[in-house]
Amino acid sequence: MSIVSPFLRMGSRSSGMAAWALLALLVPCSIYSVLYDSTFIWRLIGYALIGSMAETIYTLIVKRKRRLVCTGSAFTAALIAASVPTSMPFLPMLFSILIAVWIVKLPMVELPLRFNAAMAGRLFLMLMYPAQIVNWGTPTPDVISTATPQELYRSEGFPLEWSELLFGRIEEIWEDLFLLVPGSPGETFPLLLLILGGVLCWKRIITWRTPIAFLISFGVTTTLFGNNMLFNLCSSATIFSALFIVTDPVSTPMSKSGRMACGIIMGVSNALIREFTFYTEAIVYAVLIGNLCAPLLDRISFIAQGRRLNNRTLL
Amino acid sequence: MLRKITINWNKLADFRVLENPFPNPERIFSGLDDINPETFLDFLDDIGLVGMGGSGFRTSEKIKASIGAHTLVINGVECEPGITADQSVLLNDSLWVAAGANACAKAVGATKVILATKDGGISLDDLNKRYGEFSMERFAAKYPAGAEKLILKQLTGKTPPPGLRPYQWGYLIQNVVSLRAIGRAIIDGIPVMERPLTLTMPSIGFYKNAVIPVGLTIREVLEVYKISFDPSTHLIADSGLMMGHEVSLDDVIEKTTLSLFILKRDSAWHDERPCTRCGTCNTACPLGLHPYSLVERIKKDKVSSAAFKAQMTECFLCGVCSAVCPSDIPIVQTLKEGKKCL
Repeated sequence: MSIVSPFLRMGSRSSGMAAWALLALLVPCSIYSVLYDSTFIWRLIGYALIGSMAETIYTLIVKRKRRLVCTGSAFTAALIAASVPTSMPFLPMLFSILIAVWIVKLPMVELPLRFNAAMAGRLFLMLMYPAQIVNWGTPTPDVISTATPQELYRSEGFPLEWSELLFGRIEEIWEDLFLLVPGSPGETFPLLLLILGGVLCWKRIITWRTPIAFLISFGVTTTLFGNNMLFNLCSSATIFSALFIVTDPVSTPMSKSGRMACGIIMGVSNALIREFTFYTEAIVYAVLIGNLCAPLLDRISFIAQGRRLNNRTLL
Repeated sequence: MLRKITINWNKLADFRVLENPFPNPERIFSGLDDINPETFLDFLDDIGLVGMGGSGFRTSEKIKASIGAHTLVINGVECEPGITADQSVLLNDSLWVAAGANACAKAVGATKVILATKDGGISLDDLNKRYGEFSMERFAAKYPAGAEKLILKQLTGKTPPPGLRPYQWGYLIQNVVSLRAIGRAIIDGIPVMERPLTLTMPSIGFYKNAVIPVGLTIREVLEVYKISFDPSTHLIADSGLMMGHEVSLDDVIEKTTLSLFILKRDSAWHDERPCTRCGTCNTACPLGLHPYSLVERIKKDKVSSAAFKAQMTECFLCGVCSAVCPSDIPIVQTLKEGKKCL
């Protein structure tokens, strides 16, 4: 094949993107592992290897190509592992990784409508293993010790201090009683996640439009319902998903305005689901709703841009 | 809507030097003293002038359509990264450029002449010394900046509608090298027989601007400079890194050859990977188009919608989308195919 212009390449390369994201995901997970559960990081790496192997097998069988390092699927698997309770048994995790990689991620690459593979795997876990997915086992046996801050807030209307959530460890009155870890391993340190998000944006691995639109619209909507905005932003999976899940390029729109709109849809629906339904893990549904809208948003912004061009007049 | 993109080309040919390695052509006919629109158009056809900024359209046609324009813009904004031939012409051949510009302005009846140059190139002092009678306009040192559409946008503050030609708006935009050729013909009586271009081979650190006779083969040019290379590992890129094409040693220097880059093959080409839909092409497009959406529609042959036609007309194939694509998809090649669907 003859070489065609442009002869100049610049910016980031797609081959390393998933590896960078995986590296960023490993940072909060390893800190969690050091503080709370020393075996967790090895399990996470093991799940990532399983995801990578699943993609290797798929490409070998379907495309007859040999790819040994598949960071994309490894990242998906690691995301699932980091967003469920650490007490999740191996077999459900294996099923959900295989479903995410073999059914949602790889075959849907060229289709117009794509879903976030990690969220699809999580949805499978939530539907098939409802008991395990909310088993936030904490070291102290207590009636409500399995609660995440979100569940406490829902049942007792008591928001924790958002500044304590930022660093992941609840001090003072709560320490004696629960030794709370807010949620799953990945979402434990919102402050760290925010810093990592800045780094990834600067490295051009993720774009800022979707997560910022997501966070702002979520904060505004949840304040409108009379909730504590900072608590809601810092607790649960909000910042974690803004960094790793909402930014997934494959399942969100391509156009700039489409990204904003998609972020807003996800943020608003996340707040609505938290407020009005009894589902836990609102973010899964919110992200999947946003994915559903993505092709439509892309088409709308394409047509709108064409119309704007056509409406330009000479003077 | 215009996003800043800086394409860094690590080293540039020095624009202060414009070499002339070949003997000067001889005077063929007497110059032109009196400029009036009718004779001037015939004169342009006689010297065989085409748009030397790369377009290759007949200049006489353009001038004819532009008669009555109020402003002449001298386009000294280097479009492609790594080329400094325009600046070196502005600096070294100011006599011819100014003569050509004045002749053009007189022929179309333009009352104002604007000299458009790039930030970070020739200093304003140097320009004022040579072109004191023209007004100056500086453009950001980024690609693409030298396209007529983008120059118009900065000059008028409005984005022109798709398909608009500058003369419909009262502007005549002429490339520096075209004006140099006009000036050379008027003063010295030499038709378009040579063109300044940038010769670059980064791997041996060769960067030069030179005036090369049109019609010479590339082999002959390289022999003068004693450049030799292995064609299996290197390629010659004609007319810029972004919009150019590959040529062979036996191709000739044409009037529209902006530059010759001798590049390593492996650094110029990467295999295509599947699209991750990251939207980088969308963000990078200087016109705010949706390049990959266009590509998808071209591949599926859904090319009849008004939105598609408007965006495809607007696109001028600058190649930024391909250059920034993290998956190395040759987007601009497909867009070239799409231009045929219009």
